[in-house]
Amino acid sequence: MNIDNIKQEDKEQLEMQAKQIASLLDEQANHLSMRTLKQLEEGRARAIKAHAQRLANADVNVDGTLSLIATWATHHRLVASGLVLAMIISSFVVLQALNNNESSDAFLLGSELPPEAFVDRGFEPSLNRHENI
Amino acid sequence: MASSQELSDFLRDVERRAFKQMAYAVRDEHAAMDIVQDSMLKLAEKYASKPVTEYPMLFQRILQNTMKDFWRRQKVRNLWTSLLSSFGAGQDGEEDRDPLDSIDIGNESENPMVQLERSQTMKIIEKALEKLPARQREAFILRYWEDMDVAETAAMMGCSQGSVKTHCSRALHTMAALLNKQGLSGTIVNLEQSQE
Repeated sequence: MNIDNIKQEDKEQLEMQAKQIASLLDEQANHLSMRTLKQLEEGRARAIKAHAQRLANADVNVDGTLSLIATWATHHRLVASGLVLAMIISSFVVLQALNNNESSDAFLLGSELPPEAFVDRGFEPSLNRHENI
Repeated sequence: MASSQELSDFLRDVERRAFKQMAYAVRDEHAAMDIVQDSMLKLAEKYASKPVTEYPMLFQRILQNTMKDFWRRQKVRNLWTSLLSSFGAGQDGEEDRDPLDSIDIGNESENPMVQLERSQTMKIIEKALEKLPARQREAFILRYWEDMDVAETAAMMGCSQGSVKTHCSRALHTMAALLNKQGLSGTIVNLEQSQE
């Protein structure tokens, strides 16, 4: 019991000393040279300028969604470039499908020729022959 | 989201302590200044959207990470410097000393004897702090100087709460032993009272 008490007292004394040291360190931190204080002030000014710029950018895109996406893309460059590539390929495929619409139902129904004309394999050669004549 | 004024107030409040902490850790005032300035900028640029209440923990984490980056760069630089050291010997930085460096913002009305005693005590404390192993010093500073609790210190250091307690206990015993060796245990209390 006594040993425990002594240990506890020792611990409290050490903690008290640590707090006193911290307090002295705090005091010491307030005695920096003019040059150091000036450099710290410059650093702070730069940080505040960057912060203000960030806030202004956030205002432009309402809640900063665009900058959030941009930050995500910067951090995940590989995934972001993969996504862009996938988008390019899929848009190319879609455009190809749209251009190649001769076989689509809308084209067949909207054409001047009846749909049977497209099924008849001999129709196009005969049409060409008539054009040549 | 914190306003620029809130950020400014926060940085003004912590910058001196942060500088001293880094100076003890890297033992080079120029490098310490670079680390603090970089950390300020990172906080402003990356965490502008965070509320000001989260800034103390964020700033400490940024400081620690920037310091680790510094050590990594230093390691690579030292390798090259040691290889090329024979080419650049005999240069002294005495000529570059700026008179502004020696001007101290102190309390001029204070008794010169107290000032002298304080400066000597502080030198011994700073030496003792520098002698501590890095993890112990980090734990001591976060726990007692930054006044974080054990859980916060553990989160900051990326270790368990038990490890923090061990680091703190060892740091306290080492500091106490070093200060007792210099006959300082009573002086600290006296100095603290003279401040009040």
